[in-house]
Amino acid sequence: MKSLSIALKDLQIMLKERGELLQLFLLPLIFIIVFSGALGALGGSEETQRLPLPVVDLDGGEAAQVLLDGLDAAGGLQTKHYDQADAQSQLESNDINRMLIIPADFTTVTSQGELAELTLISHPNADLQETEAVRLVIVGVASEMSLENQILASLRQMGDMQANAPEEYQVFTTDRVISQARSQFETAQARPLIEVIETVPAQEGERPLVESIGLVAVSGIAVLFVFGTAQVTARSIYDEKKIGSFRRLLAAPMSKSSLLSGKMLPNIIVGMIQFTVIFAFGVFGLKLLGLNAPTLGNEPLSVVLVCFVICLCSTAFGILIAAIARTENQIGGITSLLVWGLGIVGGAFIPIAFLDQFLGPVVKVIPQYWANRALSSLMLRDLGLADVTTEILVLLGFTLLFFIIGLWRFDFD
Amino acid sequence: MTPILEVDQLEKKYGDFSAVKGISFSVEEGEVFGLLGPNGAGKTQTISMLTGVIPPTSGTARIAGHDIKTEMNEVKKVNGLVPQDLALYPTLSARANLNFFGRIYGLGGSELKDRVEDVLRIVALTDRADEAVGNYSGGMKRRVNIAAGLVHHPRLLFLDEPTVGVDPQSRNHIFESVMRLNRERGMSVVYTSHYMEEVELLCNRVAIIDEGNIIALDSVKNLIAILGGGIIYIGLEQVDDSLLEQLSNLPAVKEAILSPPPVVPPLAEGEEPMSEAEPVVPNPIVKIVAENSQEAVVNVISFLNEEDRPLTSLEILEPNLESVFLHLTGKKLRE
Repeated sequence: MKSLSIALKDLQIMLKERGELLQLFLLPLIFIIVFSGALGALGGSEETQRLPLPVVDLDGGEAAQVLLDGLDAAGGLQTKHYDQADAQSQLESNDINRMLIIPADFTTVTSQGELAELTLISHPNADLQETEAVRLVIVGVASEMSLENQILASLRQMGDMQANAPEEYQVFTTDRVISQARSQFETAQARPLIEVIETVPAQEGERPLVESIGLVAVSGIAVLFVFGTAQVTARSIYDEKKIGSFRRLLAAPMSKSSLLSGKMLPNIIVGMIQFTVIFAFGVFGLKLLGLNAPTLGNEPLSVVLVCFVICLCSTAFGILIAAIARTENQIGGITSLLVWGLGIVGGAFIPIAFLDQFLGPVVKVIPQYWANRALSSLMLRDLGLADVTTEILVLLGFTLLFFIIGLWRFDFD
Repeated sequence: MTPILEVDQLEKKYGDFSAVKGISFSVEEGEVFGLLGPNGAGKTQTISMLTGVIPPTSGTARIAGHDIKTEMNEVKKVNGLVPQDLALYPTLSARANLNFFGRIYGLGGSELKDRVEDVLRIVALTDRADEAVGNYSGGMKRRVNIAAGLVHHPRLLFLDEPTVGVDPQSRNHIFESVMRLNRERGMSVVYTSHYMEEVELLCNRVAIIDEGNIIALDSVKNLIAILGGGIIYIGLEQVDDSLLEQLSNLPAVKEAILSPPPVVPPLAEGEEPMSEAEPVVPNPIVKIVAENSQEAVVNVISFLNEEDRPLTSLEILEPNLESVFLHLTGKKLRE
């Protein structure tokens, strides 16, 4: 009850700080708009950050070559040819994380304007965000090919009609050709003729692709800013000490754990509100702005649970900062480094797949990385709670670690 | 009377530094007790230990029969703390601040509302209770600071330098509030200050504290009586033991001593100490404890004129706690 009183008082103070409210709630939305747009242009990555993509080309035809050239030219990937049996064996032993299979009839099927299926197989332990990034690049190149094929097929059809029926020549005016091309363009967008089927051997069946590029920014920025509330917790404790009210709280008949709980509770509440606002904006606002809008995946309640765990971790992080920082400047410095710096490296703005190439296992010591992984798995890949157990446990582990160090170093005097 | 507070060998150490050096004292129920000492003397540390803000290194205290080491939660219900800092939330109103501090003492509903109104009346801020504290003057903030320590009706109130930075009007208001609380509600008060006038005005008994030690503890009247009729400082060109003895024997003079004490000059490296080396007294000042300061001044000056010893300075201190502190420590309270 006394913890609740402290929490309510802190929320009351926070509501009077307009600058802080803007930073907590408005700034993330601005970032999402900017970075959703920027990430929408993914596929034009730099040469130096290419991911290797093992390819089993069972077709060997012209269309397959166009696809492979397109993937290499996209910038994010570097294709490498494998024999099917070899690739299968290496995937099973996890020597390679994933492979793309181009079916034997790919050139024939695409040239006839029929639906062709590419298969992207990932190892169960493959990095989810990395796989998602690879899939997005393949989808992008395949869409372009699909569009090109459909427009060419359409024009070819019109040419055949013209050749067979010269008396109807007048029918094919410039306007008619443009109209037909536009119609094909829209059809290609709605029903692409090349589809990417993603499979994970350990899972049953095949899942349809989810078009969710905007979500990379939505979940990433949500995680970044929810961890940013750690600064609010740290500053709130610092302010209490600075004005002397902390002494007054220590002199009141309440335990130190109740006092700290009271200081932590607002962070959890604010974090959950932030997630609600950001995801609501991501789902509805981005759609209104014409950008790709995410969904909450197949298990929205699991998303809520993960958000709560992230809020707990962020709060414990705040206690840790409050314990180790002695001045207001130190709080700012530590927050910049640990919250914003690691938040960015942990996959806030750029899919981890690209950063992973530089940092390797280092990213695994960043709590934001695990938070992003968990949300991406649930929202981007439509996985369930069981699939993010590791991420949740790691986040809870970080929470416990931060809290123990925070309590150990906390200066109640 | 039963003591509401009994302090027994209370000590606080930080590494090798002792902030409070095993002090003992007691405060009776309904008493206003003063802790007088300069900044850094150990007053706030003492209060912090007694209110559960910091743990003592050794020793203990009992408040309303509860041991601060084993029953701090019970002790905290009895205590009220008005810290030296303005421990208030500046963006919240006075009423919101008081509601919050009441709630953390377990108050709620109509009881909390009534208590808040009551303390607002005591500090005369009912009319402006809904304004943000940040907009208040320094004196008004101090009054809210006191109200926050009173809202749960403590039996023992610790006031830690409550008048620092306060205008005379608000200071008087604070004095009146403390006296009313003591007189009308029987509230016991421990009042720390380095302003001797406040302690003289408010406190029944005073402990003079310096460098973590209590160097004197008695009623204000008895403490001042240590000085008799006051202190006279006279500057002379030369002072010797026979002169000090002659001054001590003058009528109305209780004691004459050298202040500061003589200093033996340090030896240069390799220099042998000489048996006949005389202590050096830079600008010798003689401190005279008088039985009656006016009569003693007349006698001392007449005697020095007769002896043809010119005065280089003269200072007469009226008998009060400031001069008691100077007499006991050789330092001024506000040094």
